[in-house]
Amino acid sequence: MYFQCSVFAVLCIFLSSVSQVESTYEDARCKCVCTVNNGTMAIKKLYIATVPPNNDCDGVMPLGGIIDKVDNKTEELCPRCICTYESRNTTIIKVVVIIVIWIISLLVIYMVFLMCLDPLLNKRIKGNYQEHTNEDDETVIVGPGLGVREFSGPSSGNSSGSAHPMGMRSGNVLNRVGHQQDKWKKQVLEQRRNIYDKHTMLN
Amino acid sequence: MERAPLKFSKNGQPHSPGSVTYQATTDQLANGHPLALSEDEGIIDITTSGTMNERHMDEQINISHGSGFADSDDIPGIGQYEDFHTIDWQRDLARDRMRHRYIVKRKQNSVLDLVKGAHDAWSGWLCVLLVGLVTGSVAGIIDIGSSWMSDLKYGLCPEAFWLNKEQCCWSSNETSFEDTGNCSQWLSWAEVMGSNKDGVMAYILEYVFFVSWALLFASLAAALVRMFAPYACGSGIPEIKTILSGFIIRGYLGKWTLIIKSVGIMLSVSSGLSLGKEGPMVHIASCIGNILSYLFPKYGRNEAKKREILSAAAAAGVSVAFGAPIGGVLFSLEEVSYYFPLKTMWRSFFCALVAAFVLRSINPFGNEHSVLFYVEYNKPWIFFELIPFVGLGVIGGVIAYIFIRLNLKWCRFRKMSRLGQYPVTEVLVVTAVTTVISFPNAFTRMSTSQLIYLLFSQCGGVSYNHGLCDYIVNPNATGTTNPTTSEAGPGVYSAVWLLMLTLVLKLVLTVFTFGIKVPCGLFIPSLCLGGIVGRIVGIGVQQLAYHYPHIWIFAGECSTKDCITPGLYAMVGAAAVLGGVTRMTVSLVVIMFELTGGVRYIVPLMAAAMASKWVGDALGKQGIYDAHIMLNAYPFLDSKDEFATTALASDVMQPKHTDPLSVLTQDSMTVQDVETVLKETEHNGFPVVVSRESQYLVGFVLRRDLILAIANAKRTLEGLRADSIVRFVQTDSHQESNLPGASPYLRLDKILDMAPITITDQTPMETVVDMFRKLGLRQTLVTHNGRLLGIITKKDILRFIKQIDQEDSTSPIVMFH
Repeated sequence: MYFQCSVFAVLCIFLSSVSQVESTYEDARCKCVCTVNNGTMAIKKLYIATVPPNNDCDGVMPLGGIIDKVDNKTEELCPRCICTYESRNTTIIKVVVIIVIWIISLLVIYMVFLMCLDPLLNKRIKGNYQEHTNEDDETVIVGPGLGVREFSGPSSGNSSGSAHPMGMRSGNVLNRVGHQQDKWKKQVLEQRRNIYDKHTMLN
Repeated sequence: MERAPLKFSKNGQPHSPGSVTYQATTDQLANGHPLALSEDEGIIDITTSGTMNERHMDEQINISHGSGFADSDDIPGIGQYEDFHTIDWQRDLARDRMRHRYIVKRKQNSVLDLVKGAHDAWSGWLCVLLVGLVTGSVAGIIDIGSSWMSDLKYGLCPEAFWLNKEQCCWSSNETSFEDTGNCSQWLSWAEVMGSNKDGVMAYILEYVFFVSWALLFASLAAALVRMFAPYACGSGIPEIKTILSGFIIRGYLGKWTLIIKSVGIMLSVSSGLSLGKEGPMVHIASCIGNILSYLFPKYGRNEAKKREILSAAAAAGVSVAFGAPIGGVLFSLEEVSYYFPLKTMWRSFFCALVAAFVLRSINPFGNEHSVLFYVEYNKPWIFFELIPFVGLGVIGGVIAYIFIRLNLKWCRFRKMSRLGQYPVTEVLVVTAVTTVISFPNAFTRMSTSQLIYLLFSQCGGVSYNHGLCDYIVNPNATGTTNPTTSEAGPGVYSAVWLLMLTLVLKLVLTVFTFGIKVPCGLFIPSLCLGGIVGRIVGIGVQQLAYHYPHIWIFAGECSTKDCITPGLYAMVGAAAVLGGVTRMTVSLVVIMFELTGGVRYIVPLMAAAMASKWVGDALGKQGIYDAHIMLNAYPFLDSKDEFATTALASDVMQPKHTDPLSVLTQDSMTVQDVETVLKETEHNGFPVVVSRESQYLVGFVLRRDLILAIANAKRTLEGLRADSIVRFVQTDSHQESNLPGASPYLRLDKILDMAPITITDQTPMETVVDMFRKLGLRQTLVTHNGRLLGIITKKDILRFIKQIDQEDSTSPIVMFH
């Protein structure tokens, strides 16, 4: 499908540009859970420290000491800290999130295309080809109320006979793509009939 | 480990004890055909299984070599099925054996054939390896995407928009982080809009953003599903179960379903609806399995073999959903698979392993685990606690029963009434109600996975806990031991009230949510319901132990130290509700203990799961998946049910005594006659008999095959006329057809199943049903005194079982097929 090819191309371009962006967020940290004893009681606190070059969090002390906030004055206490090394990969997250955004936006664009432009295009191409091969199709699609019609994009243009009118399109590849697309649309229509109209599946 | 021991699982074991050899037959064949097997090979090949299919198939090979005819596969489409049809396990497995034998035989011929043989041998493993790799990656994408989008409802990380809240604050060392879960890098929408951080205005702004993002996500999910792949809605597990039991739903495991289900589940999870991504993950993995199996013709072209890959894929799906590889394999075995030989189990094991490994290396949550709510427990439990655990099981069973009843009622209402005509509107309304109700309550505002994590985790760590860990601090405590006592402070009590409210809300919302037309799973909401109940009970028991530490039930364990862990109760409760809803036992316990990483809690989990299953089974017979299978009237023949009846095969068989049985004759019908029969009837297969007068059974031919073969013959066979005789049997009179002037015979012996399963009319129905379950039959022929009487199909069996189940019910039973 040309749509999928374009997805791939755009993704490639985007990914290459993304990989050049500098990552400002660290990929490793020392997570320290410290027990602070301020004279009357012990409190557990969480500190994040930067990772030393040797990747060993054991000897890490939270920078600047522990600030005792109870008395609102900076005071070096004697905390017992247990630090663990944790890592993540922000690049993967970044790439994945951007891919997700791209996929969703492409799907939305394609959906809008199918809902608005495609029926118009097909109507023009078909012209007087309107043949009603299957009466049942028509009644079923027109029958249900608003909720179904809201998104019945491709159905409105393709509910009647399909593969042959596409022959008008030029080029072998386009033809095949169009044919594939029609086959797919038919399948979707069938699925929609099963689920939204006949309620025989996935209730 | 075979659940439904289809007899064919033991193929390829030469000389197994008790095997039947058809030596005489092979001899005969060897004489008749120059290229046939030598006698020795014939014995090796034709063993086990005890059906005549073997001989028949072997004969086909020989014919095809001997007389220059190609394999039966060369008629395009033979061996495939129509949409909404039941597959014939026996036939497909026999086809695979035939193919395998052909490859083995060719092996000696050349190096290329040897390589082909090797490729054939390892293609199963290669396929599940690929399935595991892809499933792991897709699960990683879904996890990262949905956690990012969920947090988009609350705010933004302006410097790195792709990070969610937790990741945004990940390397920040502000101490405020532990109190509010917030840091200065993360901006809530109120802050982004330039308002204050606190105050009424900020609250309203955040409220509005929360609801509008949720509506946006939900409408997108519903619209995408509606537009591109309607099959992507719902959980998918009932359908996967049906498909694995041998049913064809075209497009259900296709490319578009995969894409839309993956995107849709991210959107619907992020919209804050009361649903989870675990069930859909099984569907997604099965889609991947189906798509990848087309790379290997051995699996792609054979529906029965394909189901082996799908079983493995389902295991991988659960494996990535819960980070529980073994749980996944057991889930596939216990819940979804129908035909599960040992070989499939090993493949599932491998597939689940690969998928879990890939997901783990992606590390989607940054916590070195593949689920958000992974908790590590190492606290002991005392013997008395088994009583509250069993009690939790009972409560879980009751909650699950209530949920199943209400949800089914609602789904039936949706199916029957006008509500079903407004799928997108329904999604929007449910989302609006959910989010508007959810926002004010801190427990419902957070994502369900986070809530589960909160409920499961124990106090004493440092986490943002909404008062759940507001225990009174003991001023006398010194040193480094945990300073808090287990006496509940006011925060805990208010949290308990909030949790109770949350429980009711979640229960009601989930009833209305499960079944709307977006991808939605059930595991997370059930875990959450159970977790809430468990945590509340846990806090109760903890307070009991604190205030009366010396009662005999605690056996002195609680007098000195904190002995009750509410988080553990939450876990047990979660297992109980999930067990009650899905009626899983073994796989559930394994999944839960893989979640916690402690073998110590197996007994509590088992007790709760068992109690919940008992209570659930006593109240209502079916789990949610079986109930939905019933609701949708899928042709699923459950191998767990038992039933007692005195009916005989003759009571169930079609046609009833008055109607004639449409049959074909072996060598007296013309092409036109056959086409008339095809036109006038809608049967999916026809028995072939010797002649109309003496109805002795010859074989069985499928409608689809017949149509394809006739169409193929019309294209390829010259001189075929409407009055050409159709021959289903191979006769010795090859020459006849070559006589000049005579119209040629249409030979259809290749599509004829010469070994249909037959029973007599006096066979008890229990036996017949057992045969259908264990052999995976599609139909069986009923004979009397050797003469053909009628036919029993899987549909008849299902109708019959349903009839027994609900003698009193008058509702008409609609069946697929």
